[in-house]
Amino acid sequence: MVKLQLESNRQPIQRRLYWLYPAVILIFVLLGVRLWWLQILQGAEYARLAEQNRIRSIQVVAPRGPILDRNGLPLVDNRPSMNILLDRELMSDPASTRAFVTARLAISAEDFEAQLRRARRAGPYHPIVIKEDVGIEDVSVVESHKREHPELQLGPAPRRLYRYGNLGAHVLGYVGEVSEDDLSNNVFPGIQSGDMVGRTGVERVYNQCLTGQNGAKEVLVNSVGRELGVVAERDAAIGGDLRLTLDYDLQSQAEILLAGNVGAIVAMDPRNGEILAMASAPSFNPNSFSPRISATEWSAITNDPDHPLQNRASQNTYPPGSIFKLVMSEAGLDEGLVDESTHVVCRGSEVFYNNVFHCWQERGHGYVNLEGAITQSCNIFFYTLGQRIGIDRIAQHAKALGLGSRTGIDLPAENNGLVPSPEWKQAVRGEKWYAGETISVAIGQGPIRVTPLQLARVVSAIATDGKLVTPHLLLHAERGTYPPWPVQQSPIKPESASRIRAGMWGSVNNGGTGHSAGLPGLDICGKTGTVQVVGTERKKELKSEAVENHAWFAGFASRDNPEIAVIVFLEHGGAGGAAAAPMAKEMFRTYFNKKSNPELYTQMAGRMSGGDAR
Amino acid sequence: MRLNQRLFVSFDWLWFLCLLLLSGAGLAAIWSTTQGTSISFYLGRQVIYLCLSLLVFLVLLYFDYHVYSDYVNFAYIAGLAVLSLVLVIGHTVHSNKSWLKLGLVAIQPSELIKVLVIVALAKYYAETDRDTLELRELVTGGLITLVPMVLVMLQGDLGTAITFLPIYAGLTFLGGLKRKHVVVLLITTVLVLPAGWMMLKGYQKERITNVLNPSNDPQGYGYQPKQSKIAIGSGGFLGKGFKQGTQGQLGFLPARHTDFVFAVWSEERGFIGSITLLGLFLLVSLRLLRACREAKDKIGSLLTMGVFSLYLFHVLINVGMDLGLLPIAGIPLPFVSAGGSSLLSFYAAMSLGMNVNMRRFVN
Repeated sequence: MVKLQLESNRQPIQRRLYWLYPAVILIFVLLGVRLWWLQILQGAEYARLAEQNRIRSIQVVAPRGPILDRNGLPLVDNRPSMNILLDRELMSDPASTRAFVTARLAISAEDFEAQLRRARRAGPYHPIVIKEDVGIEDVSVVESHKREHPELQLGPAPRRLYRYGNLGAHVLGYVGEVSEDDLSNNVFPGIQSGDMVGRTGVERVYNQCLTGQNGAKEVLVNSVGRELGVVAERDAAIGGDLRLTLDYDLQSQAEILLAGNVGAIVAMDPRNGEILAMASAPSFNPNSFSPRISATEWSAITNDPDHPLQNRASQNTYPPGSIFKLVMSEAGLDEGLVDESTHVVCRGSEVFYNNVFHCWQERGHGYVNLEGAITQSCNIFFYTLGQRIGIDRIAQHAKALGLGSRTGIDLPAENNGLVPSPEWKQAVRGEKWYAGETISVAIGQGPIRVTPLQLARVVSAIATDGKLVTPHLLLHAERGTYPPWPVQQSPIKPESASRIRAGMWGSVNNGGTGHSAGLPGLDICGKTGTVQVVGTERKKELKSEAVENHAWFAGFASRDNPEIAVIVFLEHGGAGGAAAAPMAKEMFRTYFNKKSNPELYTQMAGRMSGGDAR
Repeated sequence: MRLNQRLFVSFDWLWFLCLLLLSGAGLAAIWSTTQGTSISFYLGRQVIYLCLSLLVFLVLLYFDYHVYSDYVNFAYIAGLAVLSLVLVIGHTVHSNKSWLKLGLVAIQPSELIKVLVIVALAKYYAETDRDTLELRELVTGGLITLVPMVLVMLQGDLGTAITFLPIYAGLTFLGGLKRKHVVVLLITTVLVLPAGWMMLKGYQKERITNVLNPSNDPQGYGYQPKQSKIAIGSGGFLGKGFKQGTQGQLGFLPARHTDFVFAVWSEERGFIGSITLLGLFLLVSLRLLRACREAKDKIGSLLTMGVFSLYLFHVLINVGMDLGLLPIAGIPLPFVSAGGSSLLSFYAAMSLGMNVNMRRFVN
């Protein structure tokens, strides 16, 4: 009886247990399938994640290559410095990190957040720089809080050092983090967000040569980020040397001459286009950009009405003034409109197309031929010539001498300049060309625009019987191959060039407008230019600096053995003969002094005794 | 009450071997992750605990299980008293005031009380001779479970508190539920769950939502399941080898000798090792179910069912958590995780199951 009751009680238990078996087996099969999924199917991916956990790759930034002058003197190299990096993978609590960096590292909360936002595009394993070029105080703060803040790290980062500050700033350029624009246009192949690149100047143009090969250090870390050992290491390789055609002493002379002025000086070897000096004023200090320019400095530079970042030698254009008379002479000679006997009688003014045009010499130059007209810069001669040649042929010859198009120099954002013609005026201004405008263009006034660099090329062509060189700054790049610099033959005939040179020689050495550029014993040839910014009458009314004439001087030396061409341009600097010509003389003096007495130049002497020829 | 030869023959040696193998795997994993570190004393302690647990296991096996049910009322009340005492003079570890210091060792009474709840509830349900339980019995049974559970909850140990629920669920299921009571229980659950959710602390909610969306906030509360999955997955087929698991050795795995010991094992032993461990757990589960089915009386079935529920719940929650399938809860893996109280309570519970199994033919 007891047993029976037991049995009847046990049956429902047996029934309830019955389907627990498949349920339990099913659950374990599910766990087994999950194991299969994690360990077999996803095993490789999880193995990678485990490696990523334990191996941290630290980028070792390679220093950029040095930039040297033509004699091997370093103009730009690197100095050691430390950055504070943030490894977002190790950041467990952004709020506490932010509190720490604002309190102890003097980084504002807004800056910190902005940097985090900017870095969102880069992978989380890519540490971001939150403070650059830190001092010893910040280094010790980070070092002593390694345990609490393993996400903050120190990274050595070589900094660009522009040894002579402003010297050659427009040519050298500066470096900075690659811009979004350059990244999306793929200007620099292989460069990633956050990398440093040249932003302007040769730093930008020869970025590939100058950029080193970044190294990497793979370290074994534990879960709190402590480094347990180095797994693999690849050294960073410094970028290639870049040797420029610049001559330190000549460049330095140009900068000294321009101090306090607004303008540009270019010195070039007329035989091959090597730029010996290229200075623009006002200037800036590229060290301000390394590592990062402060907001106040940046606004000071960009709000300066004189635009110090502009390279006036290649990026700004101006009317050439009387320098254009050299182009007019070439056109006249080569078109056969001027021969040995061609002359004009200058009475100080002349009527063309019912308008009175003046010579700068009110009493007139009297009887002048081509050479005399260049020497005395006689307007009447060139008005007359311009009327005979006509605007179409003037434009044709100007373009043949390289005006109106880029010279092809190895610097960014070169300006084309402008050679006006009736077609241009119709297309751009929708107006008819007036015959009187041709008379203005004949003396380099009116809508014609040139860069100082373009004039250096014109003068060089005259100096070398017509060789139209490509101005350039590269002497030798250690990395990368660059094609030779093209040299074209301009249509200028040797006899024509010879007659123009005679006129330019007279300007400097025979009582001409450029006599202030003369040096005894040197056959310097030159031409002055004075650009009227506003009419003479209006100038008296305004009496402001901005209406002062632009001063030009364009020349070369020596007459029979041309090795240096010099262009001096002073914005609102006054008369070319009085303001620009003396500066050119100093450039010639420095060049020939150094040539004959190299030991006098301290830079050279210091470098040689140092024995570091790089 | 003599231990006759038939009892000895009925002892399930394979079952016992499974338990020893699981404990051995636990020792290996603890050895691997703690030797040579600041917590190297864990291995020695675990060996001592294991010896102690085996001793208790054998002693409990010697007496017929009816002896325990006869005296459980006193033991249960004494257990509640100890739990209350813990609330007053308990020792706090990781914000859980669940430890009692007895000289050199600290024990967790909350682990041990589970075994008493199994016996008490089984005895209570066995007293009815109907096929299904009355509402009065459901409520009383619920209170037997709930009182110690609330005391444990008050200690701040929510994970351990939850493990009382499967005991009640398993025994009630076996005791028999009327259809209308099933409906009532389901409705109650649906109503209580949201309230329970609101009672959870912030980090506890995070743990649950992180199972649903593990890639969310990998450095925060999602860190542990992520690292656990990496450890298990990177073990691959054959594993990285003894002491070669980078996730465990370099400290990326949290609580690597306790809650995440399965992940450590899987990383170093690979799929072969982890599936073997899972197989051992399955075998023990099936043995418990068989013991439950073949028990000679109702209380024997109920006791075995209680042990089965507690054991399976621990295995599923712990392994499921390591595999990133379930929320993080501080629930140890039976026989494997480091910790004396847990080991002792599981050997004690398992001895109940084997006790019932051994005496299935003896009258």
